[in-house]
Amino acid sequence: MAEDVITTLKILIIGESGVGKSSLLLRFTEDNFDPEQTLTIGVDFKTKKLTVDGNAVKLAIWDTAGQERFRTLTPSYYRDAQGAILVFDISSYSTFAKLETWLNELDTYSTKKNIVKMIVGNKIDMENREVTREQAMAFARRHQTLYIEASAKTKHGVQAAFEELVHKIIQTPGLWESYNDNIHVGNKDHAPQSGCASYCSLT
Amino acid sequence: MADVLTETVLPEDLKKFEQIYHGQLYKNDVTPKAQFDYAFCLVRSKYPADIQKGIALLEDLYRTNEEGQRDYLYYLAIGTARLKEYSKALGYVRSFLSIEPGNQQVMSLEQTIKKKMEKEGLMGMAVAGGVLVAVGAIVGVGMAISKSK
Repeated sequence: MAEDVITTLKILIIGESGVGKSSLLLRFTEDNFDPEQTLTIGVDFKTKKLTVDGNAVKLAIWDTAGQERFRTLTPSYYRDAQGAILVFDISSYSTFAKLETWLNELDTYSTKKNIVKMIVGNKIDMENREVTREQAMAFARRHQTLYIEASAKTKHGVQAAFEELVHKIIQTPGLWESYNDNIHVGNKDHAPQSGCASYCSLT
Repeated sequence: MADVLTETVLPEDLKKFEQIYHGQLYKNDVTPKAQFDYAFCLVRSKYPADIQKGIALLEDLYRTNEEGQRDYLYYLAIGTARLKEYSKALGYVRSFLSIEPGNQQVMSLEQTIKKKMEKEGLMGMAVAGGVLVAVGAIVGVGMAISKSK
């Protein structure tokens, strides 16, 4: 059955240079991995259809350059994004420490106040882990974001990360608009969200 | 839906980076960063005159600043494609790929440009243009051979 796309969601990928933002996206959109992935120039863009909880959505994904030289230019892509994926490399503590800055950037420049945030600890295939799962989960809980560990190289967690993010966006009232007014997704009368509902962990 | 060839710069962003650039120009001390930031906004404008100006700034950077050449080439391709100068845009893409073969971002830009050309019915023309160039090259080679005799 050809499913009708109920909406297009704008997703943003941000984080330090070299943590694997483009690799996660390439794995998700084309199920591919390039060990020689080069530095993204400015901003790259890819689309992908995804079905979550029986709802087909189109994702418009903006993959930003992590390099310092683009830091002043990329925030203009934050506007209207409904979801943000903040990536760090579990084998590099400094990329984890910088998440605070990225969250601040997001708060400053995103135009949707209830934007759904997900932290992805990438490169779990690496042996020299510098950030523990517990550390990252505690950070995510403190900032009310989702958390998933993944490896673009081995595929682990990649699909789940995007599905979980979309699931949460669809469940957030007022964050997105359906192409078709007759479709109602989730609860119409939403219970107030607890801190717990905005936090999850998958491996 | 907007993609890399159709999304547009926010007017306030364009203004902000224009001011920085002009401030430096006034002091006769333009940094490559300020020039690139301004050009990055210009080539994403909806006005062809802005895009034109952005391209000129990028061409200048490409000649004078070796460090950022891959960035300049990429945005030269974006700018010219937005002006519908597709063969020029594909030329920049090819130069880029000759330096960095297999670059995912640039290969996907190439696809986006080609799709746009197809949509606008220009693919045949580009092919015909390519044939003309090839014929020209053969004639050129022929002439060179006959001259050398």
